[in-house]
Amino acid sequence: MSANFLEVRNIFKAYDGVQALNDVSMAVGKGEIHCLVGENGSGKSTLIKIVGGVVEADRGDIVIEGKVHHHLQAIDAIREGLQIIYQDLALYPNLTVAENISLNQMIERRTRLVNWRGMRALAAKSLDEVGESIDLDESVQNLSIAKKQIVAITRALTHGARLIIMDEPTSAITKDEVEHLFSVILGLKQKGIATLFISHKLSEVFEIAENVTILRDGKKVGVFPAGDLDDEKLTFLMTGQRISYSPFAFDEKRRSALPVLEVRRLTKARQFNDISFKVWAGEILGITGLIGSGRTEMALALFGLNRPDSGEILVDGKPVRVGSPEGAKRLGIGYLPEDRLSQGLFVAQSIGDNIIVTIVRRLLSKLRLINPAERKKAELHWIDELRIKTPSPRIPAFSLSGGNQQRVVLAKWLATNPRLFIIDGPTIGIDIASKRNIHEVIRGLAASGMTIIMISDEIPEILHNCNRILVMRKGRIEREIPDAALVSGEELFNLVSGKLFDEVR
Amino acid sequence: MKKLLAKNETYLLLVIVVFCAVITIVNPAFLTVENFFDLARNSSGTAILAIGFFVVLLSGGIDISFPAVAIVGQYIAVNSLIALGVDNLLLAFAISCTIGLAFGAVNAFFISVFKIPTLIVTLATANLFHGAMLEFVGTKAVNTGQLPNSFKSFGLFNLFDLHRADGSAYGLSVFFLVLVIVALVTWFVLRRTLLGRIIYAMGGNSEAVRRSGIRVTSVQFFIYCYVGLLAGIMGIMHVSLIRYSNPTYIVDSELLHVIAAVVLGGASIMGGSGTLTGTLLGVAMISILEKNLVLLGISSYYQQFFVGLVLVLGVSITHIQRRVRSRKQLAFVRD
Repeated sequence: MSANFLEVRNIFKAYDGVQALNDVSMAVGKGEIHCLVGENGSGKSTLIKIVGGVVEADRGDIVIEGKVHHHLQAIDAIREGLQIIYQDLALYPNLTVAENISLNQMIERRTRLVNWRGMRALAAKSLDEVGESIDLDESVQNLSIAKKQIVAITRALTHGARLIIMDEPTSAITKDEVEHLFSVILGLKQKGIATLFISHKLSEVFEIAENVTILRDGKKVGVFPAGDLDDEKLTFLMTGQRISYSPFAFDEKRRSALPVLEVRRLTKARQFNDISFKVWAGEILGITGLIGSGRTEMALALFGLNRPDSGEILVDGKPVRVGSPEGAKRLGIGYLPEDRLSQGLFVAQSIGDNIIVTIVRRLLSKLRLINPAERKKAELHWIDELRIKTPSPRIPAFSLSGGNQQRVVLAKWLATNPRLFIIDGPTIGIDIASKRNIHEVIRGLAASGMTIIMISDEIPEILHNCNRILVMRKGRIEREIPDAALVSGEELFNLVSGKLFDEVR
Repeated sequence: MKKLLAKNETYLLLVIVVFCAVITIVNPAFLTVENFFDLARNSSGTAILAIGFFVVLLSGGIDISFPAVAIVGQYIAVNSLIALGVDNLLLAFAISCTIGLAFGAVNAFFISVFKIPTLIVTLATANLFHGAMLEFVGTKAVNTGQLPNSFKSFGLFNLFDLHRADGSAYGLSVFFLVLVIVALVTWFVLRRTLLGRIIYAMGGNSEAVRRSGIRVTSVQFFIYCYVGLLAGIMGIMHVSLIRYSNPTYIVDSELLHVIAAVVLGGASIMGGSGTLTGTLLGVAMISILEKNLVLLGISSYYQQFFVGLVLVLGVSITHIQRRVRSRKQLAFVRD
């Protein structure tokens, strides 16, 4: 009997002619905390689905506790003690917290009849073990994302699992919650339960993993002890290229007399309070803060999607009313939303249609019909300009990788030729290489004279791409940093989380 | 108390009570035991169809083939009994239910194997089943004189009898007992078995059910066969009630009533939520509305209008609730 709980041997998997996994092998020891990293599209999620028995590999074996499975079924994987927390959490939104936690265990044990009292007791006990309390009778759809994540984790632990696989578990939770999750994982290790952690946030990988398996383009790059890696090396291994940052500098001589946008005492009850700032052409103004700091709510107000209670918005020194996104567009304001899948893209529509949707009026012929030649010209122009990787503008947007999808959303707004571009979370869920490319595009836009407001909770992203930074906390502007080059990542982080503020007090 | 107020069923019951009160004020003849027995007899079949439709809706699917299944089961059962010269109610049920189960399996096959949207599959099969029957079995109605006696006596069989002032009898039809049994079985399955909870879970997130190790295909076979079975039972009840089997009859008229009743009962057309009590109350509401508008002096042509109105309002409310909820989660999450 080997010391490995899980072994994956020579897995091959192709989708529609694309080789998603190419001869991938890996192993997770008993009680080990292992990390699987790779860029989006490197095959991580496919590998996890194969391990979970949800997708069948074309070739290769899964070995659990020395037992070879050629055709692993989902229920077999679960019975062998393998629990997967998927990125989408796979909860039942319409059922209660108690049912969500208990149902899968009933399935596993083939319990045919429901014992409601036993179910609640089990759920209560499990939540208790994780150190959380959530109303057992609340419907899961009414919970925040962080709480949903806790339900998913608790459910996985309920099963007497031997290996827990977490696919990007920290994507939607705050720093504190991540710390809590890590303490849970360490607690599991004490009990001999292994964790396979999938992430693309580098700092997390080093904080928790013992060993790291790296995938790139469906192939295994190698497995390394976490101690042998650092940020730069890991990035290099994941992307195959070295990446360095240089901060964005704004030439003060180019500062015009009149700001493009001025916001005076903008307030909305319980969301943001007394927000005033100015932004000039050619600047990249960073706005950062935690979820709930009011950053996104304030940005939505500038774009006409969230009516403020009081305050003024001035464009080119003239007071304006932004009542709708249409009105914002007429004023030359573009907005790239935080969640591109639900708010930024028509995922089922073609890439081309997504790009031209904002400028359809300009493409009309005399008969008020869309002119096909003009349309094609516009689509190809933006695909080329932003280097969107696609064989044709006619394929649906959902078939693209995260980075390319984001470029389509960028193209859609750039096509309107905005003067002020508000970018909310430009690189959420995007791999490092694409991230860098998108940052370059944004800097290029600012250099050509566009005004940019970049909202993000990723400190390095703000630090490296903005010349001026506003830190928001609890709905207010906590601090304005006039020159981003004069602040360190740690200082900025402390400001955002409110530590420095409390210390001063 | 607070829980009671949050429930859709409470309001529906209140509406029914108010509506009954209004009818009684206008026409005191309404509030009699006889009238309610009559209601139970006439709407038990609809209620059984509604229960089946509710189960499919819960799972996130939709089945509009059940009226066709009911009439095909009924018509073939009646004609078989006549052709064989056997006058046996159990055989009629056996034939009709077998047909229902088989058609349900056909639906489940297309839905689970080819992954075709359920509405499209059942729209197609409804026409397929009904058209095939008209072509291969016949189009001639079976009238009361030709109808085997077992149907007629089943239709007239009462659980117990009461007497009017003039000494003539009326009673609670056996149909109501059939409904109670179907409702209890369905309640037990949905509430107390793993299968039932999986049906609810499927309506919320069927991919998650699949990943938890359940073969969604077999659950779908259960659901669509169950609807078929209930449609088979209803087919026999229907012919016994009206003592006449017209192969073109229930195909159109029952569909709207059943959908309206279930939606009114609070089941979401998107799946995953709703209760059996709500469904039964929905049927009661629609049946009372349909049978008693005349008593209020409103033209019976308004019936269709009101059922349509109820459907539009019911669907709108579910959708608004959903939008409010998803909006809450959009940008301003905090807790």
